[in-house]
Amino acid sequence: MPRKRIGPESRIGSAKKELAEKLAAELKSNREFGQPVIYEHAFRTGKERVTVIWDAWHDVPLQERSATILSAYELAEGPESRDRIVLASGLTVPEAHAAGMLPYRIITALRKNDPVTYDQARQAMLEEGGSQLLNPRTVQLRFATEEEAMASRQRLIQRFPRTDDVWMIEREITAQDLAEARDWAQAEEG
Amino acid sequence: MPKRLPARWQPESIREFRTSARRRFDEGMALAAAGYRAGAIYLWGYSAEMILKAAYFSLLGRSETAVLTWVGDILPAINAGRAMGIAWPVAGQGHNVRAWAELLIAEHAATPGAAYPPLFGQEVQACGQSIGQLWSETLRYHKNVAYLYEMNQVREAAEWLLVSSNAL
Repeated sequence: MPRKRIGPESRIGSAKKELAEKLAAELKSNREFGQPVIYEHAFRTGKERVTVIWDAWHDVPLQERSATILSAYELAEGPESRDRIVLASGLTVPEAHAAGMLPYRIITALRKNDPVTYDQARQAMLEEGGSQLLNPRTVQLRFATEEEAMASRQRLIQRFPRTDDVWMIEREITAQDLAEARDWAQAEEG
Repeated sequence: MPKRLPARWQPESIREFRTSARRRFDEGMALAAAGYRAGAIYLWGYSAEMILKAAYFSLLGRSETAVLTWVGDILPAINAGRAMGIAWPVAGQGHNVRAWAELLIAEHAATPGAAYPPLFGQEVQACGQSIGQLWSETLRYHKNVAYLYEMNQVREAAEWLLVSSNAL
């Protein structure tokens, strides 16, 4: 009788070598801005959850994204990182935005006489971590926190002096905001 | 006069989720055997969802028969997941199998001494991802026929969660 054994590897997915190497290099470089954005959430137990927001995940299945992140950490920090990271998730910028994780956005208000052109602004926003996945003609520069958005705006102003009025930060309402508002209202009601 | 089906339902609880997860899985197998692939996937997705919810509320210490409600239990769990940074879109939020799997792994990791062994946690996440990429509760609105490999992926993931449910 044929006896076939299927191991866990078939479910977990395999790492994308090239992306793992790029991500490992990013982990070592500690860049202050641009994609990928790596969030490391530590639990009190010493375990960690890692989320990597990166448009390079486009067309890569979720299982392979997770395997690639674990492989990148292993390359950058050694095999013990596998025991520390309990959850590795990869999302593109549009996916993270759809999940309400990037509520802050830098938008431009360009006028004719501004000291920065449309093309310069667009290029600078891409370098800051902007995404063109949803629409190749529009750069979406989104952030998880106000601090990240403000730091990015400051870098843009330093790069193009006298452009304070060009870069504006807007914030979207998320499901988390609504949940917090409801909790607050319930607490107020006693 | 026998009671109607909804009148015979037990309140939703960990025990009810676990037993109906098994029932829906078996019904999905019957549909698969009859060639109804999308119907099979539809039931297996719910089966996985109930296994994960049962495991999560069990980890929180709810009793097997405690009544679980949307406002008192499900929605607070979703919000807890979002607060932990889990990607949890609003659309179909109660049924997001990938997010429920990640919440379960994260809650284990946050509980002293309860973290999953690395490979086991990766398998839980992979099962949630596998189902999450192919299933949503809105499947019922669509006439498409699933490919054989898609049906097999969802079956394997739901089956793994079912046979592992005591360890989840």
